[in-house]
Amino acid sequence: MKTKRPEEVSKSTSMRITIDPVTRLEGHLKVEVTVDNTGGVQQVTDAKVSGTLYRGFEKLLPGRNPLDAIHITQRICGVCPVAHSLAATMALENAAGVMIPDNARIMRNLVLGSNFIQSHVLHFYHLTLPDFVKGPDMPPWQPSWSRDRRFDGAATDKFVNNYVKALDIRRMAHEMGAVFGGRMPHPPAYVPGGFTEVPTSTQMSQFKTYLNGILSFINNAYIPDVEKIAAVYSDYYTMGSGSGTLMAYGVFDLNSVGNNMLLKRGIMMKGANSATPVDVGAITEHVKYSWYSDSTDGLGPAAGSTMAQYPKTGAYSWLKAPRYFGEPVEVGPLARMWVNGDYRNGVSAMDRHRARSYETRKIAQAMQTWVNQIIPGKPVFNQFSLPPVKEVFALTEAPRGALGHWVEITNGKISQYQIITPTCWNASPRDQAGTPGPMEQALIGTPVENINEPVEVMRVIHSFDPCLSCAVHVISPGKATVIKSGFCKA
Amino acid sequence: MKISRRDFLRYCGISAAALGLNGTDLMKLYEALATTSGPKVLWLVGSACTGCSVSFLNHISPKSPASAADLLINNVNLTYHPSLMATAGQEAAAIAEQAATDGGYILVVEGGVPTAFGGGACLAWTYNGADVTFQQAVTKLAAKASLIVCAGNCSAFGGIPAAYPNETGVKSVKDVTGKTTINIAGCPPHPDWLVWAISQILVKNTITVDSLGRPTYLFSKSVHDSCPRKGKSPARTYAQEGGCLKELGCQGPKTKANCSILKWNNGVSWCIDANAPCIGCTNPDFPAANLMKGGKV
Repeated sequence: MKTKRPEEVSKSTSMRITIDPVTRLEGHLKVEVTVDNTGGVQQVTDAKVSGTLYRGFEKLLPGRNPLDAIHITQRICGVCPVAHSLAATMALENAAGVMIPDNARIMRNLVLGSNFIQSHVLHFYHLTLPDFVKGPDMPPWQPSWSRDRRFDGAATDKFVNNYVKALDIRRMAHEMGAVFGGRMPHPPAYVPGGFTEVPTSTQMSQFKTYLNGILSFINNAYIPDVEKIAAVYSDYYTMGSGSGTLMAYGVFDLNSVGNNMLLKRGIMMKGANSATPVDVGAITEHVKYSWYSDSTDGLGPAAGSTMAQYPKTGAYSWLKAPRYFGEPVEVGPLARMWVNGDYRNGVSAMDRHRARSYETRKIAQAMQTWVNQIIPGKPVFNQFSLPPVKEVFALTEAPRGALGHWVEITNGKISQYQIITPTCWNASPRDQAGTPGPMEQALIGTPVENINEPVEVMRVIHSFDPCLSCAVHVISPGKATVIKSGFCKA
Repeated sequence: MKISRRDFLRYCGISAAALGLNGTDLMKLYEALATTSGPKVLWLVGSACTGCSVSFLNHISPKSPASAADLLINNVNLTYHPSLMATAGQEAAAIAEQAATDGGYILVVEGGVPTAFGGGACLAWTYNGADVTFQQAVTKLAAKASLIVCAGNCSAFGGIPAAYPNETGVKSVKDVTGKTTINIAGCPPHPDWLVWAISQILVKNTITVDSLGRPTYLFSKSVHDSCPRKGKSPARTYAQEGGCLKELGCQGPKTKANCSILKWNNGVSWCIDANAPCIGCTNPDFPAANLMKGGKV
């Protein structure tokens, strides 16, 4: 099953490294890099990023009650279920033509925000930090790669203490989300037309108590810890730059009309100085290097079929390769902060961590305002009626980046359901033209000092916070005509 | 990190009743933890969403600092967990492969086992240059495990990825390996259910299971049995406080779980408290058709 590529193996000085599993992420990721000596520096000259799990969600949704999608699509990802629940709910609202009350909009933001916080904190401390700092002398922190650790014992102890503290903080963030969401992960409270929970002043106080403690940690531990890593590993500002094009769909509605969001929609094309509107119709997908039938390759947004084919010569991933006007696109906190103008220091492995930490603070601070905007006693739900036939979609953001759900309803049932997840963008394989995906591009040029412990590769990969559970695989976003449906809010 | 074992014991003492531990059990637990570094645990993740791991990390006793992380990390040797372990690649794969040779570990499986495409819909790791499918990994590790705990519905019953038409041929761990498994159902399982199971295993208690492999201690009564809204007049639409949710599709009457007693997330809330119907996530047929109703379709 292992694919050999003779043209690489034959190079006299090049070596091939396989990292599988790439640990400390969600789901299944395999990375193969070719390392060669270029210009006196041993570095990655080629990279293949493989998603190694396929579950076929879009095959199990057709025929079902459309409301089932709210619960089932959450189960795409246990780390970012709320974003899927929201996307499915928004799509069905678009079908029903129903607006939601302010109380519902605010509670949705608060539950989603809670999950952004738990996801970002989990990512930095529990998924990333072991790439830089030695953990305690026991499993699961040992064995570990010991190379290039730059902090002394005292500094390491502080990081480890915050690692433990962060376990509490992410748990508390989930408890905070459950105040209005019912439970976490997989909250049941999102319904078309609003929210199921009816807020009380007691819940608002409870939420604020959680939030104050969490914000204190963000300000006094998370951001300072990221800055410490950034200062000592400043060479990572020059590594992992990726594809250069940054896209955000936007998230956290600030009004019921849906034309203003805390994190705005837009795309920064490579080399551009400002963000431009997102043209969803410019998204295409490629499967030449994916385990799907070539008959679906290069199809535009009107394509509808997903035909798994495994094994397949030349293919190396269960992810398809989405492209925007043919270009690979990075999504995630760094993209959102760039598009929003909140962070434009650079595009690199270290910039991703810093942007993520600042975004966490920005969201948490906004949540302090939002929770006070809830008015107990005011409505949280408007009755809805789903039409028997409709094509709709909704765009939002998961912690890891831009997320879109496309739904087709026929005879009152789901007839087609399509999802484009953030990690499909970031961890995509090569496209038809052979252009590597953003993570692959980010890896190429990364110095590797010791091929037995290629910690530099892990650091670059982890900066993207890949979520392979989420990366169902990208599928085409339905017929282009749905773009005119008015749901593109930005 | 120094007092976590004591924290765990204190937690078990305080929560003994909730965990189903009597005085003798507690003594055995103290002895077990005093004399050993804890049993080796390998936690595999297959066709899954990682939600069971995330839920597990949410465990906390309201009366103690003990947490699921303390338990897993400090009271057992969690030698393999793909989302938490520091090492990667061949070294990580070798830990699991070596364990499969040595035996004598508790195997926790999260996620279903895809059997279509020769198992290729889920690859566990690359070992000595060869792809190892999740099906192969589970089969190999189940063979020498002292106990197998299925965390969540996917490993216990197939769950979401096994839903019709089950394109990837997902099966439960039991169906793939033929081994007996302790099925901690739920999508996700409540963290206390997983902690309960591991506590019972640590004190070497026999876990009585129902015909579906679920511990009867956790899954003998329905959500409806002790629902605070049992017998209340039905809510006809969403966001109605206090009403019975059967008109909205609540599956509490046919769903075995103690959510109404434990609640979720440190007792903060649970589905029914949020006026959201039970979607039956501990049932072997989850996700059944029509997870909820409401609105005119």
